[in-house]
Amino acid sequence: MSTLLTIEDLSVDLPVPAGVLRAVRGISIEVSRGEMLAIVGESGCGKSLTSLAIMGLLPKGATRLAAKLDFAGIDLAVIPDRKMADIRGERIGMIFQEPMTALNPCFTVGSQLEEVLVRHRGASRKQARDRAIELLEIVGITPAAQRLSQFPHQLSGGLRQRVMIAMALMCEPELLICDEPTTALDVTVQSEILSLINRLRRDLNMAVILITHDLGVVARAADRLAVMYAGQIVESGTVRDVFATPLHPYTQGLLACIPVPGRTAPGERLGSIPGVVPSIIGEARGCSFRNRCSLAFPACGEADIPSMPASHGGDFRCLLDERDLAHRVAAVGGSH
Amino acid sequence: MAPLLEASDVHVSYPVGGMFSGRRAVKAVNGVSLQIERGSVLGIVGESGCGKSTLSRLLIGLEQPTSGSVWVDGAPIAQMTRLARARRIQPVFQDPYSSLNPRRSIEATIRQPLDVHGIGTSRERIAAVREMMDLVGLAQRHANSYPSQLSGGQRQRVAIARALVIRPELLVCDEPTSALDVSVQSQILNLLQDLRAEFNLTYVLISHDLAIVEHIATRVAVMYTGKIVEEGETSAVFSNPLHPYSRALLSAVLTPEPGLGIPETRLRGSFPNPMDLPPGCTFHPRCPESMPICMENAPCLQNIDGKSVSCHLYAEQRSSVESPRKQLG
Repeated sequence: MSTLLTIEDLSVDLPVPAGVLRAVRGISIEVSRGEMLAIVGESGCGKSLTSLAIMGLLPKGATRLAAKLDFAGIDLAVIPDRKMADIRGERIGMIFQEPMTALNPCFTVGSQLEEVLVRHRGASRKQARDRAIELLEIVGITPAAQRLSQFPHQLSGGLRQRVMIAMALMCEPELLICDEPTTALDVTVQSEILSLINRLRRDLNMAVILITHDLGVVARAADRLAVMYAGQIVESGTVRDVFATPLHPYTQGLLACIPVPGRTAPGERLGSIPGVVPSIIGEARGCSFRNRCSLAFPACGEADIPSMPASHGGDFRCLLDERDLAHRVAAVGGSH
Repeated sequence: MAPLLEASDVHVSYPVGGMFSGRRAVKAVNGVSLQIERGSVLGIVGESGCGKSTLSRLLIGLEQPTSGSVWVDGAPIAQMTRLARARRIQPVFQDPYSSLNPRRSIEATIRQPLDVHGIGTSRERIAAVREMMDLVGLAQRHANSYPSQLSGGQRQRVAIARALVIRPELLVCDEPTSALDVSVQSQILNLLQDLRAEFNLTYVLISHDLAIVEHIATRVAVMYTGKIVEEGETSAVFSNPLHPYSRALLSAVLTPEPGLGIPETRLRGSFPNPMDLPPGCTFHPRCPESMPICMENAPCLQNIDGKSVSCHLYAEQRSSVESPRKQLG
């Protein structure tokens, strides 16, 4: 697998009334062709801003800093807006969480789909229409030709999400960024959408960045994951390794919060993480999780915590020794 | 002893259209009967539009059934006054951001039910609020705060404290944790479990998150197009779902277990239009096991292995020795 996207030391700052919100603080990720990387975290951890930073779609006033922002040999950090608009939609597709707000209510599904090809490939309307029908059929919308003349409000949530996927795939992008693609959907539809994304990933050798808070979706669909907390990646690795041996106390806490049939007995107390996710405004020193961490000791607040390589190939951001952290999971069976 | 809450063949339909098209009825709840025993937790699951929220509003008394009736402790809920009903049944809603009055302090919010019901003296009410705040894990310093100063998890604790301060018997929770983050969600679930033991409460839990229902509920009812298609003990339904829809729904749950991949649901088509439900069994166009009879007759709930199931697959089972297709799925 060849590396498609390399991000090094990406930061995003947002001006807020209280000062400068350091929403993303120096994250580094790599995504290869055909691979699905999940970025997991709770609301406010900076996962959505990371995806918008890659797409060059940050809100006004936000500043993006990166040591490297390389997409297939193109430096996204320096290319002009016009060039970025060419890449967006053609080589990088994006699926947003709420299909009702991401689709334009005033235009038919067909015209919104066709516009992508007309804009990027200079296709004729006839060519664009044929391609739109083809894609609606791929994503399982039938009868496709009839749906083209419908407006977004005439479709159910699942169908709208499929239209979003079809739109993101019109130009067969090399990278697909999905921001909570199934959060608003029912479980049966969720499974269908995820297997569709996975099938297309295989067929087109497409790289996928999946942004979600749902650990079930990550476990079932992704290859690797990065856990974000307060703007930083606190742990990353393959899904199998991180779920089997979570190292960072936050990852351990997160995994203990969800009931797992067969592992947690019905009615048993679930693990919980006291406190709330902090917003880092201005300068911050030390581990941002230390106030909620049961293992914190004075050194956690003194200096920035470096990312340490883990023996399974991933890394984690904690001062404690890997063996002690891993031992902790083994001792409590991973459920508390 | 009569069950705490009982619904018998309740229907709710809403008229829609009228201006340009003919008036039609959407059947949101389409003949539901259920009994909720004291101390139990009934989980109601199903996809959006299946009528589970309408059913919950019906159980709280916020909605009147078009036909059929609901009884509390053997007395019809329709004849109870609003106050009498609220004394015994309280709701907890999904969104703690919109279910609290932004201009009312936390203490005033939690105290309000006591004021409305005229319980205790002013001093006793304040003491009751303080006690309730301790029980739900809210620091006393928040008493004079306003909802906007609290996090989502804290707001949901306020909503739970407000519901419990008059000591109701039944709490109807409609998606109590879906607006919350994972780490906060487990705190609220633990709290609900603790309070249930503390106050000997009965819950109706409506959730689209089946893992939560499996974790907390003692009984579970699966709904589809306004009807209960399967009902039984949680462990029995989750370990061996009988109705093809229950099977599809439960197989689609993504448990956090890597390596299992994404399940195939084997469902065709999509959720039917509630104004134009299919004839016979409303699930037959999507059912992987539909038979000719399914298109004509709607199945009735019947008892199989201690569960109620509404499916023609099990119709012969009562009389014939072999159990047809039971091992499927």
